[in-house]
Amino acid sequence: MKKIIISLLLLPSLALAGELEHDMHHNHDKHENHLHEMVDGQEFQLDKEKFNKFVSGLSNAQIAVLSLQGMVCDFCARGIEKTFKKDVGYLNIDVDLSLGKVLIAYDMSVFIDKSDVEKKILSNGQNLVDMQILSIP
Amino acid sequence: MGIRVCVLSLILTFASTTMLGARPVSYTGGSTMMYFSDNLKESVYYHYSPSYKYSLGLEWLKDKVQNENYAYLRYTHLLNRKNTQNSQRNLYFQSGISSEGIDRNFIGMHGDWETRRLFTGFGLKHVQADVKDYTKKYIQLGIAPYLGDYGDLHTWFLIKTKTNSLTNEWNSYPVLKLFKGNFMVELGYDENDEWDAHLMYRF
Repeated sequence: MKKIIISLLLLPSLALAGELEHDMHHNHDKHENHLHEMVDGQEFQLDKEKFNKFVSGLSNAQIAVLSLQGMVCDFCARGIEKTFKKDVGYLNIDVDLSLGKVLIAYDMSVFIDKSDVEKKILSNGQNLVDMQILSIP
Repeated sequence: MGIRVCVLSLILTFASTTMLGARPVSYTGGSTMMYFSDNLKESVYYHYSPSYKYSLGLEWLKDKVQNENYAYLRYTHLLNRKNTQNSQRNLYFQSGISSEGIDRNFIGMHGDWETRRLFTGFGLKHVQADVKDYTKKYIQLGIAPYLGDYGDLHTWFLIKTKTNSLTNEWNSYPVLKLFKGNFMVELGYDENDEWDAHLMYRF
């Protein structure tokens, strides 16, 4: 029983230590791998490699960059993909779990309604904190 | 026993104040199929979530305590959810009515809190049965050894501690949880109770 108690108490400590270590690397990586693009005075913090892969092949499109709270696991994000794939003008979607971002590409002709996006995110169990739009000519 | 109660209280306090969660309710319009097996039951459970706040489902089970087969009509309600940038906390109420009669039912609470790195959860369930009523409880603590990207295989190492009022014994054992896309597999082995298996598919 003592071993179990010690294991139970040690586990969160080990995990927290791992989390701190991860955060240190993460913060370091932020400067090297994350894109800070300015469009119309807005800054987009995105993973550069993921973003470049996402936009490759896209033209005459717009990308909704969603910042979410509560998107902590792959399983949680599955519903987001399923929901937005049904949208008119939908082109592509990508989820960045580490930054809490979702990128959704739409045809340029579509109007992206923030309140509609907010409702869809909430129906999946997360909260929309911010939405920015990027244009891909 | 004193130490056990003390540790349990500490963990439950930790779980209920800073963290809680699991996914007995899916996203709006989502369906989930589960297979579950432990020392008390073996079951197949399907639930549908008309809203992200509740789910309705049917569970067909082989009751190892009563040694009989029957079904539950189940209702689960999300009581509380707290989302932050790096975590999600959930608290659920769960209930079920047996196909054998309304006097055979269960009610319970289920909670979890998780980040991409840590998971902790608890469950408390009271079953009103034909022969003898019982209560079962569990706590789970887990850590993800690595942080995968969306679409990767996600792995969790957990420790599960559980008891029921029929045996009044606490058993703790390791559990391995794997996620990939819409699939989840959870396997635990306890030398006293044999295997715990939990498979899930969301669609």
